[in-house]
Amino acid sequence: MTAGMALEQLSDVVQKCQALPDDNYTTEDHDVFTIAGRTCIEEGHSAQVLSIVLDEKNQDIVRSMGWNLLPPLIQVLLKKEDKNLPQCLAILNHLLQTCRPKELLIGLLEQLEHDDPNTIAESIHLLLNPLQKVLLCLGSRKASSLGMTLSSVLDQVAKLPLPHTKEQEEDDVFLLCRCCTDLTDFVRPFVHEARLNTLNCNENTENMEGEPGKGKEDELQTELLKFCMKSLNHPLLEVQLRDPDTLAVSPLRNFATEILKSLGAIGESLPALVFQPLLKRKQVPGFLEEEVRYPKESLASLAHLVFVHHLTADTFPSVFSPVFILRSNMEHINLLLSKTDESRIQKGLELYEKSLVRVENNSLPADLLEIKTLLTVPQNLVKVMTMCPQHDLRTRGLKIFQLSIDKFDTEAKYNFLQYMLNVSHHSGVEGYIIKNIKNQIDHALQPGNSNIWFEGVHLLPLLRKVFSLPDGPETDLLQYLDRIMESLNLLRYLIIRDKVTENQTGIWTELYKIEDKFIKPLRVGVNMSRAHYERELHNTMEIKKNKVKENSVLSVSVGGEELPNMTSESQIEALHSALHTFDMIESVLVRVEELAEVKETL
Amino acid sequence: MADEPTREWSDDQLKSDDLPKKDIIKFIQDNAAHSFLNEHKLLGNIKNVAKTAKKEQLIIAYNQLFLSKRFKGTEPVEEVTEKVKAVKIDEKPKEVKTEVVDEGPPKFFKSVLKKGDKENFPKKGDTVGCWYTGSLEDGTVFDTNIPTTARKKKQTKPLSFKVGLGRVIRGWDEALLTMSKGETARVEIEPEWAYGRKGLPDSKIPPNAKLIFEVELVSVD
Repeated sequence: MTAGMALEQLSDVVQKCQALPDDNYTTEDHDVFTIAGRTCIEEGHSAQVLSIVLDEKNQDIVRSMGWNLLPPLIQVLLKKEDKNLPQCLAILNHLLQTCRPKELLIGLLEQLEHDDPNTIAESIHLLLNPLQKVLLCLGSRKASSLGMTLSSVLDQVAKLPLPHTKEQEEDDVFLLCRCCTDLTDFVRPFVHEARLNTLNCNENTENMEGEPGKGKEDELQTELLKFCMKSLNHPLLEVQLRDPDTLAVSPLRNFATEILKSLGAIGESLPALVFQPLLKRKQVPGFLEEEVRYPKESLASLAHLVFVHHLTADTFPSVFSPVFILRSNMEHINLLLSKTDESRIQKGLELYEKSLVRVENNSLPADLLEIKTLLTVPQNLVKVMTMCPQHDLRTRGLKIFQLSIDKFDTEAKYNFLQYMLNVSHHSGVEGYIIKNIKNQIDHALQPGNSNIWFEGVHLLPLLRKVFSLPDGPETDLLQYLDRIMESLNLLRYLIIRDKVTENQTGIWTELYKIEDKFIKPLRVGVNMSRAHYERELHNTMEIKKNKVKENSVLSVSVGGEELPNMTSESQIEALHSALHTFDMIESVLVRVEELAEVKETL
Repeated sequence: MADEPTREWSDDQLKSDDLPKKDIIKFIQDNAAHSFLNEHKLLGNIKNVAKTAKKEQLIIAYNQLFLSKRFKGTEPVEEVTEKVKAVKIDEKPKEVKTEVVDEGPPKFFKSVLKKGDKENFPKKGDTVGCWYTGSLEDGTVFDTNIPTTARKKKQTKPLSFKVGLGRVIRGWDEALLTMSKGETARVEIEPEWAYGRKGLPDSKIPPNAKLIFEVELVSVD
């Protein structure tokens, strides 16, 4: 249809309907109005459409059918440079005042959905204000519509690329930060309304234990809670917030702060949320609802915001004991560290560190280890330390691992180190644990530090575990190198440090067993390995000399795929390196035996 | 009672320098129960044991053996190697470990500002509700849950938690257990029962801070 025709048709149908009561408009009338009206706007005749829409005689028609004009209007408004902008804006404003809210809502929400980030961001920026106006007109029936709106907006926001650096947040190229700011502005009046509702039915004390003090669930509060929980997950759990000294003005930090404040306004207690893992909430019928209502990831995100970024810290009570906070946070940390997503792992590490730092060294008692997460978190930490692709996170993980050991009291250290030695299944980690054991023994041997855990009766079972070879003489010495070297270091230390006549550690009475179970098989293993590798070296050099087609000596496969064979030179290098390692092991063995002999003959 | 070993040496013979330690050790190792040897640190290579044990100790052990009659075979067969119970973290040591440490006087001081009903005292595990203001010794207020206007007070709720379970700093737990419903008290807490040497990093509470709280106990459940 041409523009001229469209205008004519529009005028005609409007004139026809002027004479009719609005429940007599036919489907055809609706269709003609819609198609003609849309075409007029698309073709740039918005001035004429505006005058039709403003005409007093047409208000019933506009109320009934006007909302159908939304799609092309919004298209024009999104384009921004269109010369029809003022007229379209005027049409939109009039429609917002005249049409039925429910229909406007549907029309506006439809226009939110896009695929490309730029249009998503611009639509949100354009539509949140009209949406707010419409929702405020719904009065006490607004809750579910608000929920639907918030959910749609967050779904669209989820499609936007996230800033990863401070500069990216400042530049905000994909406008995520602006969307968050827009959202905050959008939600403000609804939060305020919910706050007033809370005030009015605030007879009962809702306590930290989270028992609902009010009977009837306030729907508005429920929708806002859903919104806060969803935001805590995305984008807040995905982005890294910058502290004020790094980035003075941060839209993301503001957004997070507003979410926390909103939670308070709708009657949720931040301590209750953050400590939820430890508080036995009354089993409300359908208790699974609790998991849906307060998703675990959202609560973990919240704990991170409170304890790492100190958002709304001035309203969070400063009376809780650091050990209680640690115990509670361990649940959140466990969740975060059990993911492979590096953003979550980083937050888990940060939360762990902040929680540990508040606790005094040597203070956590052994019975704390009866709590499951106190053991599962370190195991997840070991996975991070050994397998996370990002070097910084691995290093940080190790630092936090040591920090966690330092916080335990002596008995707890003993139990923890023994446990981790058994379950880590990684030579490097085991070596690190054995080094810790050595430090603890050293500490115990100093005057005044004597204890029953790292000396005497209890030490021996631990030492027996340390001085053992997983596969006897056939143990792969290269694979277990870290562990073996630390064990030998410990043995050498004990022999030097503990006087035969004092035998505080019990090493002297244990030595003959250690010789049997550890030293002898190790010697045998070293000799066997050395012989094997020397033979391989000889073969490889022969092959190289004869320039015979290279048969791989070693083959390495990663993830099921075999890596290309090493060149002869590399192979030879590797073999030399292995032989050097065996020499190293042997030299410590020899030294240990020398020292033992010297001391015994003293 | 058959087959009880007999004393090979008299006391004089034992003390004599002609009798080497090794012989005594061998005798005891041959005849004593495993647990006896363990307790007297006589297990292991005779050479090594001879290094660590003094003659006097051996004489005592020798005599003890005959007094207590803890010979081989008088006790049930024990595990020679103590198994490392790796995963049982709750294994408690066999001997009584620490003596009760005397902690000294309580590390808080309470003065009552307004009396309570003197009947409803919270017990461990009860849920209490409080209004409070916390300040440092120099008067800086670091925390309060009392809003500035009476109107706002309607909107805010008292702090609520289960008392006596270590969820709050020790000074609070201990002080609240001595208060009755309706009581307002001024509680001064030494750092040991507050945030100690660390203080609260990133907050207004410095290390080794003595804290002063004014607490009103409004509810006990």
